[in-house]
Amino acid sequence: MTQSFEEDCADLIGIEEKKGMSRRDLLKFAASIGIPMALVPGMTRKALAADAKEVVLCNWGGVALEVFEKAFAEPYEAKGGRMVIDGSGPGTGKILNMVMANNVTWDIVDSGIVGLTQLGPQGALEEIDYSIVDKSKVIPEFAYDYGVVNYMFSSVLAWDSEKVDGTPTLADFFDLEKYPGRRLLRKDAQAMLELTLLADGVAIEDLYPLDVERALAKLATIKDELLFWGSGSESQSLLREGECVMGMIWNTRANVLEKETDGRIKYTFEGGLLQPGLWAVPKGNPAGKQTAMEAIASMQAPEGQVMVLEAMGNGPANPAASELVPEGLAASNPASAENVSKQARISADWYAEHYADAMQEYLDFITS
Amino acid sequence: MATTGTSAAHAQNSPGRLTVNSIMGSEGRYWLLIAPAVLLMLGFYFYPLARVLWMSFTFPTPGLGNYEDLIDNASVHRTLITTARIGVITTGLTLIFAYLISYVLVHAKPKVERIMFLGVLIPLWISALVRGFSWFILLRREGTINDVLIGTGIIDTPLDLIWNELGVVIGMVHYMLPLGVLPIYANMRNIDTRCVAAARGLGASRGVAFRKVFLPLSMPGVIGAGILVFIYSLGFYVTPALLGGGKTLMIAEYIQLQIMDLVNWGRGAMLATTLLVTILLLLGVMSRIIDLRGLFGGK
Repeated sequence: MTQSFEEDCADLIGIEEKKGMSRRDLLKFAASIGIPMALVPGMTRKALAADAKEVVLCNWGGVALEVFEKAFAEPYEAKGGRMVIDGSGPGTGKILNMVMANNVTWDIVDSGIVGLTQLGPQGALEEIDYSIVDKSKVIPEFAYDYGVVNYMFSSVLAWDSEKVDGTPTLADFFDLEKYPGRRLLRKDAQAMLELTLLADGVAIEDLYPLDVERALAKLATIKDELLFWGSGSESQSLLREGECVMGMIWNTRANVLEKETDGRIKYTFEGGLLQPGLWAVPKGNPAGKQTAMEAIASMQAPEGQVMVLEAMGNGPANPAASELVPEGLAASNPASAENVSKQARISADWYAEHYADAMQEYLDFITS
Repeated sequence: MATTGTSAAHAQNSPGRLTVNSIMGSEGRYWLLIAPAVLLMLGFYFYPLARVLWMSFTFPTPGLGNYEDLIDNASVHRTLITTARIGVITTGLTLIFAYLISYVLVHAKPKVERIMFLGVLIPLWISALVRGFSWFILLRREGTINDVLIGTGIIDTPLDLIWNELGVVIGMVHYMLPLGVLPIYANMRNIDTRCVAAARGLGASRGVAFRKVFLPLSMPGVIGAGILVFIYSLGFYVTPALLGGGKTLMIAEYIQLQIMDLVNWGRGAMLATTLLVTILLLLGVMSRIIDLRGLFGGK
């Protein structure tokens, strides 16, 4: 499977040891050994959620469990709410399955453009209530009908400075004579098409609607030298081990690579694509729409978002957070004003219409 | 079940009443004994499975629309052909290696045999992920094999041993070897070596004795191993995903993409059904040719 960005944040650092067993830990434990919430018996779940309207937030586990706990659940609880973080991974297919089976166990899910555009039109998500969730606390274009930005990440160009001199441009990614060697792309149309078109000379403002044919034709010129990564850790190891000279990868992984190779692997936000991670609410969520919206609003506080940046490299969704970002982290923050200005921004509208077709065409291209 | 057992015992002693035997025949009680397992399988295995298969006819619209993809969808074709091709190549290579290994195993001294056997079994206990990553270390451009070949001057440019079908086949054959060796070895163990000796005594050369006596006697093991390995290969997921560099898409990964990422459940379910039916057909045909029960230890 192609791993989603949200999922990758989970593996990025690893799971910390847990001591003791509170009821929240019970859920976490179940999630950590791979038992999805749906399988925890209904009685137990009801008993767990009985005393208050408890919000179950489903993310991708791993380190994100601890981080979301501190950054989001604790502040929410300080305000009198109750929040449980379930790390079992809200895959698009899983959410649709729950909604269709009328057995929704999550109130808020850590999803993305694909989840939004595949589930929203199917009626599987609640509309975001912008009278509760504050639109002024996000970049407005990332506040969608069925999802609202929770953090930002980027797809960026990274390279091995031992094999690539200077700072390559996106166009150099396609220049095998200038920089021979393998290139790395994600096994997903999202962002790869955009970066390819930018490399081919399309201006940022003319990016959408994406010209898929043109992008694939451009990719075809270097097809023999292309490798495709499915999970973030794969992209990291292929660059670290020198198997690829350049790659289009997530900024979070690029950042870790730069540190762990003492700067041998470098990356730039120049010509990257800024993408939002999204909070979405599955239709018929157990705590009710209102409670879910209030919880989302509480998570818009910049302090928690900065914590997520510090721990995982995901950029804060709230522009006000930039003042709180420690100086050392500003350069690696995909959402900082300076970095945002260098990048293109993803268009959810286009993906709502074309994701399934574009993804299938991209897959057909890479496997034929 | 305890209650049923007791009442059945009572019933036996009171003539004229219904007994388990009178309802279900003399083997009835044995069926009752496995009833919990059967119910469990029905409820938690066959029912959900049937739901998935049913979905291939009903999602997104009722009808055979999903199955049209089998006829006219180039991407489905490519995936099926890739899967079949890799399955056949993997099975063929695995059988050759497994046969050689088994042959040496049965003819080795007991002490050597034990050590060799351990060598065959240990990989079984190592996860496909770890093995996939180990192959990455060996096969990549700056990997051990290319480094040695370039260092000794045999080649100038690194060979592409991974991120293509070659890499996938290498990884899969490695994974399948124990599955191939076990049935072939079990079969060879039971071959009466005196037959070969008799053939030699009657004037057959070594080659002829092997070809006309040993090889035919070992064929049931080879066929059994072949089915097992081929069926496993068809549904293989991790190794192709890891060693194919994203470019080798086999049916299992394709189904996963359709269901989890593209939310195209109908097509995913249709392919899952196709895979299942293909495997059942294969088993059905094979059971006509050879004795499957004997092969998998049912007798």
